[in-house]
Amino acid sequence: MAKIRTRTFFRKGVWEENPVFRQILGICSALAVTNLMTNTLIMGLGLIFVTAMSSATVSALRKITPERTRMMVQVLIIASYVMMVDIFLKAYLPDISEALGPYVGLIITNCIIMGRCEGFARNNPVWPAFLDGVASGVGYALVLLVIATVRELLGFGTLFGMHVMPSGWVPWTIMIMAPAGFFMLALFIWVAYELEYKKTQPSHGDK
Amino acid sequence: MKGRLFSTLYMFLLSLVFTSVVSGLNVIHQDRIRLNEERKRQALVLHVLNITLEPHATDQDVSRTFSRRVRAATLGDRPLYVGLDADASTVVGYAFPVSGPGFWGPIEAMVAVDPQGQRILGIAFYRHSETPGLGGRITENWFQRQFQGRPLDMPAAGMRFFYFKPPGTASGPSELDAITGATETTKRLEKFLDEELKKTIPLLLEQKKLQRV
Repeated sequence: MAKIRTRTFFRKGVWEENPVFRQILGICSALAVTNLMTNTLIMGLGLIFVTAMSSATVSALRKITPERTRMMVQVLIIASYVMMVDIFLKAYLPDISEALGPYVGLIITNCIIMGRCEGFARNNPVWPAFLDGVASGVGYALVLLVIATVRELLGFGTLFGMHVMPSGWVPWTIMIMAPAGFFMLALFIWVAYELEYKKTQPSHGDK
Repeated sequence: MKGRLFSTLYMFLLSLVFTSVVSGLNVIHQDRIRLNEERKRQALVLHVLNITLEPHATDQDVSRTFSRRVRAATLGDRPLYVGLDADASTVVGYAFPVSGPGFWGPIEAMVAVDPQGQRILGIAFYRHSETPGLGGRITENWFQRQFQGRPLDMPAAGMRFFYFKPPGTASGPSELDAITGATETTKRLEKFLDEELKKTIPLLLEQKKLQRV
């Protein structure tokens, strides 16, 4: 039973209700940090941590939190976890912390986290809320990593900082800049919807 | 009324708990964070002063070399790092930070000049928010290296220390290659470098004359 539910959470978070390409949430950071895979991975892990922990905490406090203060409570909880991530990065991964710059702090305003708190965690027990948070975070991180792979490969000729393109490769500067983030995200959404459309097509025929 | 009181109290307590946890974590890690920043600065100062470290130098190596070969002083309101030779007896150069507005945000750099304050030893741009791949290329080696050995004679009135020219057309000691496609970054860099050097170089020479550094 529990296993099936875990799978449902992940199917929804990663594909069916993927925050980035289904709900178009958290786009700002998706465009900003996806030109290098290392940064994207750290950002994704940070978001998974914050979403999962915030959801679990909001869920744990759901019975005693007064209805009218719940948004304040959620923001407080989210901000606290984000600051923890920020401190951790500054202490142990100073180079990445510098590269991500303001975007770690901006996780606070990422709609995915508050969306999961409001939409799921405040009405569900702690463990499902935690899993739901992890699943949404993973959905976000995976989309970002796919976009980052293309952008880093074409923009720098590297993957995770290692050279993979032939030495004569001329980097596509546009890929490193924000507009390429828009193009890549749009292409990604297009491809994802196309796949989904193909999958559901036969059932349309049945009707 | 009762509900309102509870809400207030609840919010107060919750804020107290969470801010305490975050502050606690911050205090625990503060030293480590400060050390990270300190080490970065030390490596940067050694780098612009052309004090080379062995490849694969650890953080401890950097700190040790820094404490042996660099003496801290001040230049007006900014720090001044006096680079010394291997015996720690002769001055090999002076390093100081400069900063100014870039295109998207402030740019911070460390500049090193020779003991006479007449030539640039090195420059490193270490904090900026310029466009990656365009203005962001100010951190690339070829760009920073072209400052090395440039004379620092005070320019005539209305003139600047350095001018950025389209790549390949720079000639003479005061002209440098600009970055293609980064017009705004280049313009601002040209302006603030000039302003900062006009402020700091005379100050450095004066301090040297008074034998304060």
